Amino acid sequence: MANTLRLYLTCIRNTLEAAMCLQNFPCQEVERHNKPEVELKTSLELLLNPVLICRNEAEKCLIETSINSIRISMKVTICHLEVKQADELENILAKKFLRFLSMRAEAFQVLRRKPVQGYDISFLITNYHCEDMHKHKLIDFIVQFMEDIDKEISELKLSVNTRGRLVATEFLKQFI
Amino acid sequence: MAAVAIHQFAECITCHAWSPDQSMIAFCPNNNEVHIYKFFTDKWEKLHVLSKHDQIVSGIDWSRSSNKIVTVSHDRNSYVWTQEGSDWVPTLVILKLNRAALCVQWSPKENKFAVGSGAKSVCICYYEQENNWWISKVIRKRHESSVTSLAWHPNNIYLATTSTDGKCRVFSTFIKGVDKRGSQSSTSTDPKFGEQIAQLDLSSTWVFGVRWSASGKTLAYAGHNSMIYFVDEVESAPAAQNLALRDLPLRDVLFVSERTVIGVGFDCNPMIFAADETGLWSFVRFFDERKATPSTSKASQLSEALGKLYGQSKQGTSSDSVEPSKPRGGAHENCITCIVPLTKGRDGTIKRFSTSGLDGKIVVWDLENHFTIAK
Repeated sequence: MANTLRLYLTCIRNTLEAAMCLQNFPCQEVERHNKPEVELKTSLELLLNPVLICRNEAEKCLIETSINSIRISMKVTICHLEVKQADELENILAKKFLRFLSMRAEAFQVLRRKPVQGYDISFLITNYHCEDMHKHKLIDFIVQFMEDIDKEISELKLSVNTRGRLVATEFLKQFI
Repeated sequence: MAAVAIHQFAECITCHAWSPDQSMIAFCPNNNEVHIYKFFTDKWEKLHVLSKHDQIVSGIDWSRSSNKIVTVSHDRNSYVWTQEGSDWVPTLVILKLNRAALCVQWSPKENKFAVGSGAKSVCICYYEQENNWWISKVIRKRHESSVTSLAWHPNNIYLATTSTDGKCRVFSTFIKGVDKRGSQSSTSTDPKFGEQIAQLDLSSTWVFGVRWSASGKTLAYAGHNSMIYFVDEVESAPAAQNLALRDLPLRDVLFVSERTVIGVGFDCNPMIFAADETGLWSFVRFFDERKATPSTSKASQLSEALGKLYGQSKQGTSSDSVEPSKPRGGAHENCITCIVPLTKGRDGTIKRFSTSGLDGKIVVWDLENHFTIAK
């Protein structure tokens, strides 16, 4: 399992490496504006083909590139409850956790406040981020983030389970 | 070491240009200003700040014989700066554009300059003596997207442009009263202003950085699909060569001789291309020796922010993670956006050139020792 995760992340890293070639580009449609083209999608020639990287049905990563911005969207968990009944808790935890992060998007600079439809969390990197920060560190951050999300959620799940067991034990003690 | 001098002028540089005697440099530190520095015996000193634009300056060109600076900006305006005494005096050029201006270049005779813009058009500007005013003539409805770069043919008439619609075009810019009849090449009889001489549809994606060779025989430009294109005999019978790269795309190219081209771009390291006797172009090597930089274990600004929210325990967990990507390049640490020729040798080949990039450095490179290695 750890091995497939590594392959998945390496694939994402290499794709980002090639896709993150951004430049300052003023808006063609509106005077004196400069906006991320990947969000506006007004001039089709300024967009490149999106890349979808899937690890499995549940986990995938969509990379959309334009001339001055790149959007990375991730899906972390599955929503079909009947398929993965046991992971209902994981779903709730992931949703809450990612919402917590999205609400603090300013602290991360590249995090999008609202994920793209169908995904759990999205990043938006513009040419300004590439000017301020090292490209390789930006990519490291994204990959590290994806890696840690998994760990964080399973850790949360464990602690919730442990706490549930403790509470149940304490509660049932009174009946002995 | 090929880099002769490295100067960190600002956080980020969009473009730069040298004065005719190469003692001064003008550059835009990624804002609405143009800074002019002069080299005094041991260090660079800031002489002037030209602040007339109100958005980021996207192009600067310093004319060689008339000592004029032309600047264009995303605010749709252009200024021609002339030196009067110790001050630089701006003259506004009405470009008749309704979108940002992206690039500018003086013509070889310096009686005209061309401006490429996001309005999918190109302006040719010339000076009218009687009105004391720069006039702009626009080539409209030829480009399907923004004009990213332009280059003058040595004959002062032909202008090559690249655009984000993936095409490279060559136009005639003959203006009555400015250009003499006999000055154009004999191959075409009477090209009118704005007439399209050639359209090269080689790339599937955006193209950048067009340049002519010194003789005007060869045209080179780069595509965002990591390709570089060489076109011979554009006016009569174009013969194109495509060269795919292993590395990240190029942003700008420069002919150092008829058979040697330097390309710069997202790889942060200039690349040398050369043509053999049969005219076949190939990639020679990177200019800067790539040093094996040890991967830093220090967390980035962002992971620090993440760490704060996560609790610091997350910092040490990267030991079994995917190998962190290595920083690129040697002299430059970020994408190189601009390459400018400097000293010319006796045979007309360029001996030195300078590059600037998003890392705010201007690097001067020397070619002297390199020709022997390249051959």
